Order: sequence, then structure tokens, then C-alpha cells
Amino acid sequence: MNAERPLSLLAELTYRCNLQCPYCYNPLDLRAYSDELGEADWLRVVDEAAALGVLQIHFSGGEPTLLPDLLVKLVKRAHAQQLYSNLITQGTFLDDGLLDRLVDAGLDHVQISIQGVDADAADDIAGTRVHDRKIAALERALARNIAVTLNYPLHRRNMSTVAEVIALAERLGVRRLELANVQLYGWAFLNRNALLPARWQIDEAYAIVRAAESRLRGTMEITHVLADYFEQYPKPCMHGWGRRFLTIVPDGRVLPCPAAAAITSLRFESVRHRSLAEIWESSEAFNAYRGTAWMPEPCRSCPRKQIDFGGCRCQAFLHTGDAGATDPVCELSPQHVLVEAAHRSAREGTLIPRRV
Amino acid sequence: MKNSHDVPALARGVRIRRLDDGSSVLLIPEGIVKLNQTAAAALELVNGTRTIASIAGALRDRFAAAADSIDADVLELFGKMNQQGWVFFSSSTDSHG
Repeated sequence: MNAERPLSLLAELTYRCNLQCPYCYNPLDLRAYSDELGEADWLRVVDEAAALGVLQIHFSGGEPTLLPDLLVKLVKRAHAQQLYSNLITQGTFLDDGLLDRLVDAGLDHVQISIQGVDADAADDIAGTRVHDRKIAALERALARNIAVTLNYPLHRRNMSTVAEVIALAERLGVRRLELANVQLYGWAFLNRNALLPARWQIDEAYAIVRAAESRLRGTMEITHVLADYFEQYPKPCMHGWGRRFLTIVPDGRVLPCPAAAAITSLRFESVRHRSLAEIWESSEAFNAYRGTAWMPEPCRSCPRKQIDFGGCRCQAFLHTGDAGATDPVCELSPQHVLVEAAHRSAREGTLIPRRV
Repeated sequence: MKNSHDVPALARGVRIRRLDDGSSVLLIPEGIVKLNQTAAAALELVNGTRTIASIAGALRDRFAAAADSIDADVLELFGKMNQQGWVFFSSSTDSHG
């Protein structure tokens, strides 16, 4: 199997986080990741990624700003390697000092998430009083010479606030708004019944987003991450397994997809033991679902197999127990009934907060 | 509305990068856009002072292409880039471009 060059690396520096959002895609066994990769290894990984052809590096977690010194050093190294760097943060520690250090180090873009349009609703999801600090961080970032995206995760409880968050983004002068329907992995999969919206909520929200997109064209770019459970065909997850993206989790293991650790039938190798290039090119996990040869029917003879790549391997595993199955989101999947059952089970309910 | 006297500049968080194989890409927030030869050449000339007309002029010299087609292509390119939020314009106050 010939591997293409990866373009994008997600570096999850730590799974620690001061928020408890119940839709977090991080794994449930957070404690298993406490032996975190150190600075020397991370710096080597940035160099190896650049040599392998990676063009963009995304720093995330958990909350990556819990390790500010490491983060600044890695942004600086990425910049020296001509990599485009992106910080994905919930913003509670993004004070003037850290922002200045990050911008000086060459950070290109920061994505800051909020959990609701007002403090009560937002803090109820986050599990702690942080909303006002996050808005302040967003305003500080917008005042600097850096690209800023406001990220708003959407789910059953806040789907009706889409118009309000667009208005808030306009008031703040946000140029990029990402409305991200929560993807159901990790903690979000655990909480799927209470997170998955009703179809009428999705229809209503999509109409509002479409109208705002055309009204705001040229002023604000709206990126809409769709709720794949409501789509006819699956998302082209990672644009193909082991094709464009790789993720390094806090303990140094390398995954083809941020949620792949849930696939217990695969063994993922660590940058502590092998180079990034060796893992990308020849590890069993990266080659398991690369290309199209692994595909079962109906994917194998499907004209869309180079469009959606059979969908998401993690989702196939979570629902069917077989990571090599067609993504059950696809209406052509013989196991699509599992997703239909998920729709029937969705209802208002208690959300279990993400906790270590 | 853009016209040939507008001065394009790359938006915050947008960078052009030349790759080892000689091709160029636009690096944008959370994305990578492959550029064709004309688009790459045009964007590499963006410096915050050149007008669209002067960029098109430089490309005409480089590619020995017909003036009308290059002018239209470059205007269309910057229009599309502006719609995407990757390029913004200021009007030229410098008639030398």
C-alpha cells in the first residue's frame, strides 16, 4: 500500500481540561493518557511532521493552554518549519500575556469555543463559571493580528440558539464562525441520547444558517459542520483513513482519526518508539483501512467510494463492533437500522459531565 | 465591488506557501487550497500596494498571454478569493500601482 503524504497533524498535548463538556469527543479512559509526551519528543515530532510533508498543525487536547510554555515552544518550532499553526482552545487561560507570546511565536489562527449564548446556559454545559472569561478572551484575540474562529458546538439542548449565536458573532466582529454539530464519539457517544437533536430542530437550524450564510457573505464566513446522523451519505471522514490527517494523542500514540482509540481491534504505535514517517507509512493501524481494498459491499461497488471513503471507521466500530463495516450512517448500509434506532432513542435527558 | 484599481491583500491567517515540487498552496484557517499556476503567480505578487491591474500586467509579461483574458482571469480570481474571505481590498491611492 503506497501512502500519500499527510497534510495535517492534530497534536493533542494533554487530555486535562478545566471544563466538563458532556459532548467532548475525548476518550472515556482519560486517566490512561496521564503519561504525557515531553517537550523533546514533541519538538522532534514537529520536525518529523514537516519532513513528511505536513503543512498545517493543530494544537488541541484537552486544553492545550494548560501547558503554555510547551505550546509556545511548539508554535515557534512549527513556524520555523514553515508550518501553519492553529490553536484549538476553550479560551479560559488565554490572557494578554499568553496571546502575545503565541502571536510572537508565529501562531496563524486560533479557534475559541463557547458553550452557549449566555453565561447561565453556557456554564451549565461547561460545568463551571467560565463563559464571561471566554468572551473576554475572544475579544482579546480579535484585537490582534491573527485569524480567529468562534466555534459553537450544536446539540439537542442549544440547537434553538443558532440565530442568537450568529447575532453574537456579528456583534463581536467575528469573521469566521464554525457551527459544529456535535460528532458523537467519546463522551458525546456516551451522552448521545440527550445530545442527538430531533429532525425538526436540524431542519430549522439549517434554514437559519443558510439564510445567514447568504446575508453575511463577504463579512462573516460560516462553516457548518453537519450532523451526519441526519445525512443520506456518510461524511468523508478524515478524507480517507491514513490519507491526509494524523493525530498524536497525549501519550504519544499516533491515530489516523482523533476518535480512533475507541477501536479496540487496532493497536496504535507511539512516536516514543518509531518515527512518524514509519508509523504513517507502514504501521498496521494506518494501513488497515487505507485505500479501497478493505471495503465490504455496498461500499466496494459504490460510485461514491472515492467521495466518502466508506464514512467513519470509528463510527462503524462504535455501532457495529466492526471497524471495517460500512458507516451505518449511510442509508445504503445493511446496518443503517442502528442509526435509525439512535434517532428513536434521542430525548431530553441528563448529560454526564466529562470527568477524569 | 472589486475593480482593477483595487489593491488586494491576504486576510489574517492566510498564507501562500511554495512546496518542494514547485507548486503552491494557500494555507487558510483549518484548510489547504491547491493553487493553479496563474493563481499562485497572482497571489505571490500580492504585497498590499500593487493593484489588480498591475498584478495582471506582470502576469501578461510572464506568461505572454492575451491581455483581455489575463485581466478577466485575475479579476475573477481575486473576486472569488474575496468572497471566500481570503483576500480583501483597499482602493488604490497610488496611480503607479
